[in-house]
Amino acid sequence: MGEVALKKGVLLLAILLVAIIIAAASLGAAHVSWRSALSGDETARAVLIRIRLSRVIVAALIGATLAVAGVTFQTLLRNPLADPFILGVSGGAACGAAVVTALGLGRVPGLVPVVAFAGACGATVAVFLVARRRGRTDTTRLLLSGLILNALFSAIILIAFALAPASDMSSALRWMMGSLAGASWNDAILLGAMFVVATTILIFIANDLRMLAFGEDDARAHGVNVERVKLIGFGAASIVTGAAVAVSGIIGFVGLLVPHLVRLIWRRDYRFLLPLCVLAGPALLVASDTVARIAIAPVELPVGAITALLGVPFFLSLLRSGR
Amino acid sequence: MLRVENVSYSYNGRRGASDVTLHVDDGGALIALAGPNGSGKSTLLKLIARVLTPQRGEVVLDGRSDWMAKEYARHVGYLPQESEDVFTMKAIDVVVSGRAPYLSRFAFESESDYAEAEKALALCDASYLAQRFLDEMSGGERKRVFLARVLAGAPRLILLDEPFAALDIAHVQQFSRLLRGIVDRTNSTVVFASHDLNWAAAYSDRMIVMREGSIARDASPAEVMRADVVRELFGFEAHVVDRWVVPPPHPPSAPSPPSPGEKGTRT
Repeated sequence: MGEVALKKGVLLLAILLVAIIIAAASLGAAHVSWRSALSGDETARAVLIRIRLSRVIVAALIGATLAVAGVTFQTLLRNPLADPFILGVSGGAACGAAVVTALGLGRVPGLVPVVAFAGACGATVAVFLVARRRGRTDTTRLLLSGLILNALFSAIILIAFALAPASDMSSALRWMMGSLAGASWNDAILLGAMFVVATTILIFIANDLRMLAFGEDDARAHGVNVERVKLIGFGAASIVTGAAVAVSGIIGFVGLLVPHLVRLIWRRDYRFLLPLCVLAGPALLVASDTVARIAIAPVELPVGAITALLGVPFFLSLLRSGR
Repeated sequence: MLRVENVSYSYNGRRGASDVTLHVDDGGALIALAGPNGSGKSTLLKLIARVLTPQRGEVVLDGRSDWMAKEYARHVGYLPQESEDVFTMKAIDVVVSGRAPYLSRFAFESESDYAEAEKALALCDASYLAQRFLDEMSGGERKRVFLARVLAGAPRLILLDEPFAALDIAHVQQFSRLLRGIVDRTNSTVVFASHDLNWAAAYSDRMIVMREGSIARDASPAEVMRADVVRELFGFEAHVVDRWVVPPPHPPSAPSPPSPGEKGTRT
C-alpha cells in the first residue's frame, strides 16, 4: 500500500539530510578540513565543530521544529495556508523582543530569547481564550483571533521600534528577519530537548490527530476526544515554535512550505507526514542557511529571505497546477 | 439495541432537540428521519453518534450509557452531511481510516484492516476507486467512498445525514439501492435523515418524522404518506399519488409556504 515507497522516501530524505549537513559544515569562508579537525588541529576543530556544526545543527532543529509545527497546524485547522505562526506565536514573540529592545534592555544577555518565548506562549494562550466558547474552540474563530492579535502585536512592535534606541535597532531587525548567526551548542541542546518532547507528545496523539483532517464531528463520531487533541496539539506545536523563534527569530516559509512539498510526493495522513517533515524541514533550512551564509560572504543574507526565495516560485507553481 | 430516552439539546438557547424518545431494534432496517429543514434531524443523529452530548436525558446502547468513546464508535457509524477532505488522499487510505476505533494508540492499520476496507468499498460498488484520489472523483463517487469508510468500521447502527442531498436523481436511486443492499447483507440498521419526504418514504421501512425538535410521527411510510397526515405534519394541502406527495393541481385556497418535502417529479 505504498509503504515501501514511503520507507524508501524516509531513507532517501535521511541520506539527503546527512549529506546536506556535512556539506554545510564543510562550506565556509575559512578553508579547514575535517581531517585536520579530527587529527587534533585546534583551529580547525573550533571552526568546524564549535562554530559551523553547532549552527548547522541548530538550523536543522529549527527546520524540523517549524516543519512539524506547520504540518500539525495545517492538519488541526484543516487549512493548507496555516503555518506555525498563524495563531500569533511570531507576533507574540516579536512583540516581547521589541518591547525589551525599546526599553533599552536589548543587550542584557539571554533576556530577549526568554521574553520572546514568554510572548509566544502568552500569545497562544490569548488566542485560545479569545476563540474558546462554550467549551469548544472553533477553528475559524481560532484563525480570526490569531489574525487580529497579530495585528495588535504589529501595532505594538511599530510603536516599540519608534521608541527604541537607534543603536539597538539593527539587532532587533535582524531578529525579526530571522538569523542563525551566533547559534551555539547551548541553543542546540535546549532546542533539541524541546523538539524531542514536543514531537513525542505529537506522536502520542498522532492516531487521533490525523482523524481531525476529516472534520471535527467526524472525528468525534470515531471516538476521538477532539478538544483534548486540539489543546495538546496546538500547545505542543506552539511551545516548540516559540522556542525556535526565541533562538533564531522569525524564519518564514519553512513551516508552510515543507508540509506541502512532502504532501506533493506522499499524499498520506499526518502519521506519515510527521516523520517526513522531521527530515525534509532540516534539509531545506540547512541548505537555505548555507546559501545565506556563503552566497556573498562575508555579508550574510537573512535566511528567511532565502527560504522565501525558494518558497515563492514553488508556491506559485503549486497554485498554477491547481493543487 | 438503541434507546434514546427523553433527550434534549439546545444550541445556546436555540432548540435543537427537545425531549426525544426513540427505540431502534437490532435486525436490519432502513429507517428514514424526515422533517423540514431545522426540525432537529441532524441534531438527533449527532446526539446518537455522540458528536453532541445530551443536555438532558441519555442515549443507551445495549442497555449501557457508559461506553468509552472508541468502544461506542465500533457499534455506531456516522456520516456527516459534508465530508471534509482539504488534503486529498487515495480512496483506500480514506476508507481504512474508518478502522480508527479499533486501532491502539501507536498502531498503523494492519493487512486485515485493509481487507475490511476493500470489503467495504466492494459493498459500495466502489472497488474501482480504491487507488484513485478524492479530488479526482465526482460527488457521487466521493459519497460512496465516505459511506465505505463508515462501513469499514463494521457498525451495527449506521447514521447518515442527508445522504441524498448533493446527488442527482439517478445517483439517489443508485445510492438508495446500495443502502438496501447494505442492510440486507450486513444486517445492520441504517438511519438516514432526509428533508425530502418522498425519498424518505420511498427508501425506508419506517419513517420518523420530526417537527420543531420533537418526534411528530413514528410509523410506516404508508401511514405517513397520507393527505391528512401531511396536512397535520407539514401544514400544506397535498395530493397523494401512489404514496408520492405532489402539489395540488390548483393553488390551494389557504396560502401556505412551500415545504421542502414537496416534490412534483415522479421517476
